[in-house]
Amino acid sequence: MSTAATVGDLVSQPYKYGFVTDIQTEKIAKGLSEDVVRLISAKKEEPSFLLDFRLKAYQQWLKMEEPDWAALGHPKIDYQEIIYYAAPKQKDKKASLDEVDPKLLETFEKLGIPLSEQKRLSNVAVDAVFDSVSIATTYKEKLAEHGVIFCSISEAVKEHAVLVERYLGTVVPTSDNYFAALNSAVFSDGSFVFIPKGVECPMELSTYFRINSADTGQFERTLIVAEEGASVSYLEGCTAPMFDTNQLHAAVVELVTLDDASIKYSTVQNWYAGDENGVGGIYNFVTKRGQCRGARSKISWTQVETGSAITWKYPSCVLQGADSVGEFYSVALTNHRQQADTGTKMIHLGPRTRSTIVSKGISAGHSSNSYRGLVQMGTKAIGAKNYSQCDSMLIGDRAAANTYPYIRSQQPDASVEHEASTCRISADQLFYLQSRGIGFEEAVSMMVSGFCRDVFNQLPMEFAAEADKLLALKLEGSVG
Amino acid sequence: MPLLSVESQLPWLAELAGAPLPNRREEAWRFTDLAPLRDLEPTLLPVVDPLGGVPLPKGVSRLDPAEWAPLLDASLVATGSEAAWPVGLNRAADPQVLALRVTGEADPLELAWDAGSAKGLAALRVLLVLEPGSSLDVLQVVNSSGANCTSLITEVLLAENARLNLGVLALGHGMASLLAHVAVKQEPGSALSCTTATAGWGLVRLEPRVMQSAGSAQTRLRGLQMVDGQQLADTHSFMSFGGPAGELDQVHKVVANGSGRSVFNGAVKVPQAAQQTNASQLSRSLLLSDRARVDTKPELEIVADDVKCAHGATVSQLQANELFYLQSRGIGADQAAHLLLRGYCDEVLRELPAMASAWHPLARLLGDGA
Amino acid sequence: MIRSDAPVLLEINDLCARVEDQPILKGVNLTIRSGEIHAVMGRNGSGKSTLSKVLAGHPAYTVTAGSVLYRGENLLELAPEQRARTGLFLGFQYPVEIAGVNNLEFLRVATNARRTEQGLDELDTFAFEDLVRERLGVVQMDPAFLERGLNEGFSGGEKKRNEILQMALLEPLVAILDETDSGLDIDALRIVAGGVNQLAGPDNATLLVTHYQRLLDLITPDYVHVMAAGRILRTGGKDLALELERDGYDWVDQELARLGAEPAEVG
Ligand SMILES: Nc1ncnc2c1ncn2[C@@H]1O[C@H](COP(=O)(O)OP(=O)(O)OP(=O)(O)O)[C@@H](O)[C@H]1O
Ligand SMILES: [Mg+2]
Repeated sequence: MSTAATVGDLVSQPYKYGFVTDIQTEKIAKGLSEDVVRLISAKKEEPSFLLDFRLKAYQQWLKMEEPDWAALGHPKIDYQEIIYYAAPKQKDKKASLDEVDPKLLETFEKLGIPLSEQKRLSNVAVDAVFDSVSIATTYKEKLAEHGVIFCSISEAVKEHAVLVERYLGTVVPTSDNYFAALNSAVFSDGSFVFIPKGVECPMELSTYFRINSADTGQFERTLIVAEEGASVSYLEGCTAPMFDTNQLHAAVVELVTLDDASIKYSTVQNWYAGDENGVGGIYNFVTKRGQCRGARSKISWTQVETGSAITWKYPSCVLQGADSVGEFYSVALTNHRQQADTGTKMIHLGPRTRSTIVSKGISAGHSSNSYRGLVQMGTKAIGAKNYSQCDSMLIGDRAAANTYPYIRSQQPDASVEHEASTCRISADQLFYLQSRGIGFEEAVSMMVSGFCRDVFNQLPMEFAAEADKLLALKLEGSVG
Repeated sequence: MPLLSVESQLPWLAELAGAPLPNRREEAWRFTDLAPLRDLEPTLLPVVDPLGGVPLPKGVSRLDPAEWAPLLDASLVATGSEAAWPVGLNRAADPQVLALRVTGEADPLELAWDAGSAKGLAALRVLLVLEPGSSLDVLQVVNSSGANCTSLITEVLLAENARLNLGVLALGHGMASLLAHVAVKQEPGSALSCTTATAGWGLVRLEPRVMQSAGSAQTRLRGLQMVDGQQLADTHSFMSFGGPAGELDQVHKVVANGSGRSVFNGAVKVPQAAQQTNASQLSRSLLLSDRARVDTKPELEIVADDVKCAHGATVSQLQANELFYLQSRGIGADQAAHLLLRGYCDEVLRELPAMASAWHPLARLLGDGA
Repeated sequence: MIRSDAPVLLEINDLCARVEDQPILKGVNLTIRSGEIHAVMGRNGSGKSTLSKVLAGHPAYTVTAGSVLYRGENLLELAPEQRARTGLFLGFQYPVEIAGVNNLEFLRVATNARRTEQGLDELDTFAFEDLVRERLGVVQMDPAFLERGLNEGFSGGEKKRNEILQMALLEPLVAILDETDSGLDIDALRIVAGGVNQLAGPDNATLLVTHYQRLLDLITPDYVHVMAAGRILRTGGKDLALELERDGYDWVDQELARLGAEPAEVG
């Protein structure tokens, strides 16, 4: 029995969220122009500062070139073939969930995200985004009692315009990169979270993204602000139906922490990855960045990346406040023809800032899994420290694992330490587990989740089991 | 710097090389500015005999042009180095080729070049052909004390079961530049140990590139680069395995002082054919001044599952706990730091071929009488 | 304890096995009845660990001839995990380390796999913790080891104790202990031997692979076998071990020469 081949079979599990919801959708015509940007803004009845923001971004985008430095092989994206706004047809604003189209509720239920009052996840508030719009946010009133704002960004633009204007685009400027500029011009929805001074958010917050229409791009925008001493844990989840065309997902996430605040941002990404020949799937080009503005503040990114045809994503921390802390914990599993280029940037600006990076890449099939990271110690980062660990697990001899950890230091009194290793599931380890009565499949899945343990431990309790299950799902299958 | 000189000097090197100077927008030159080369006097310097008139040691003989011509460039091609700008420049300067054949267990060989204080470009090219089962210790000593640029290509063909211990000791001057390229093609069963130490150059670009053509060979790379003042030192190493069961053991060390800049880029490629590869790379940088800068970029690309590949990188000051240990034994802080620095450098320097000790590398690198 | 009417648990007939292209086992015969304790001794490289791993079903070894009956059924066609679930246990000479896989969780999954096979209820985490704590006593192991990765960073002796803990939890019918005594300090040797004695009963059997009399002073074997060049060359009672301790293995070469076989390969 060849271990590699059999383990390889195990990771080829069909995608379970590939169904399409049959619902009437309001779409605008394909293509991008200044008029389209204005149209999106008008549809959302936005204040003028936001229209200006979008138009400026659009102008910048026009002048930029699509990056190809990550050496990701993908056919050229035709930006005029994408639909920039699609929304399920329903009455304007839902006073209560009872008015939401039952088909939508059913869709989310099928995805394991019940939105209706009786079945809600206890202690998790959910914002559900379907194509371009947020359709429901749960537990809003309860959160409001604590002064916590959790709503779709469209709603925030109207009801908390001052806050949005103060923070939007301050962490990821419109001109930051090609996809960030595009997002800034056309973003349709996403979540807004605001935790006021001194408040510890009483429950987990979660946004669930679903792309339903073919040819639709999803450009969501998330903004989370934690004021002095505030803290929040936030989780995002994503799926999409199976189409044989590629869909573009270009999100921007901005996090801001003031003095002593902390944000924990977790992602379980399971977009459709295309079939085993690499046909279809989501192009996931995302800009995620957090800014620890305040002293002793903390931003922690945890991601479990299992889907998408191509992932291009570097959740980063700008550690500006003295003694601030950045963390990045990542599991990326690629199979078939998937390509993942992911990692983080830890930019140490303030004194005694600390960062930790733990990245676990699992590559199977013909996939390619790259870690690309930057740790930078600025001249004022006295006493700053970074520790990084990047491990790759290879399954089969046609998968690629690449590691590009880039380090720059300009501060002698800062220390950077990076370690990386590769491993595979050894036949001896498998045999050891089997000789204790544990079946092949379970043994493999135990070892894979053991390999990822350091990262799973960082997920909020409610979702740790979920992530474990997701990997197990991908690993499940018939044993030869 | 007068603009005029820039404009009048630039074309000479570019014209000579037949290609414009590398641009910092190119990934391989992102951190390295070749500005110092702009002031170079447009003169090709004559090269003196690197053997210094000493006869070739036992086991080493000259190849005549008819013999070496077909072998030249083979290691450059194997390591994918042909298109590199420093290689183009060297070829264009058309230096005399010192081509040597090694048979059996050869006696140690020392090659020394000193560009002195002359102004201009000195180009050197060495081809070492090690026959099956042969072995050699060779030390290359490159010195300079003036506004010149030394361009050195060392090509090595290591046949089956051949063993080469190659040392490069390059001590320069703030006005001097060094562009050194070492390309090695290793056959199965061969063993390469390549140790480089550079210090004092205004600009160094060092490119050790090794290809194990069919794997099953051993490669040991050791590097030490020191920068101080306004110096810039850049090592771009490249290692590729063309077959299974190859080994790499690489340690690269940096000491960055003053306003010096250090760059290390270490590429390791393990393709599908290279199962059972065992590769380790460690990059350690000491950053001793808050005006200095260190850039480190390991690059590991692996497409084989049954391999052991590990790499690590650290950038820091001297270890506080080590300093404390010495101090707690009554050693003053400065002396303790000096001792630690010596130890740190010596770990690489003592791997140079034995005859390097005559050059007192440690004392010269650390600028002390020890 | 020898009872000629006790049921046969394991019956090995003319077993031959190779690894890659190299034949290692060259006709092993051995019968083990319930209640018996067997010791296998022999020079380094004589094939003791190979025999153990072949019995446990290690995929690197190919059986080329012979048969093994376990409780009257063909053992060789069972997957390794099935052998374990039905009560065959191998304590490894070199237990592997599996980073990240929590020791306690591993023990629970393994124990429940065995229990399910036996038709018993699976233990939930609480019930299992109680059981583990009780069994920890058998090997006098610190509960802190439960929270670590499986054998991860364990010392040589700690790994061996963890093997015996697994045996105590899985309650095997046939326990094969490959050099479980090596690497143990004096107290640990006594503890482990005590554990083995405590677990040995009339309904199960033990096969000890060892180099030293000191283990056999603590666990009295009913039979002692000497392996050489991939077969069992001589079988005797507990006195044979004492004889070996005194005289060494020099006689093995003559015996092999007499049999016309090639000498033992020294590993
Ligand atoms: N995977 C393998 N590949 C090659 N040879 C092997 C392998 N496994 C075992 N061998 C060889 O088979 C022979 C028997 O090995 P085995 O481990 O069974 O010996 P042993 O009797 O247990 O020795 P020891 O007392 O040292 O533990 C040795 O010569 C060994 O080198
Ligand atoms: Mg053994």
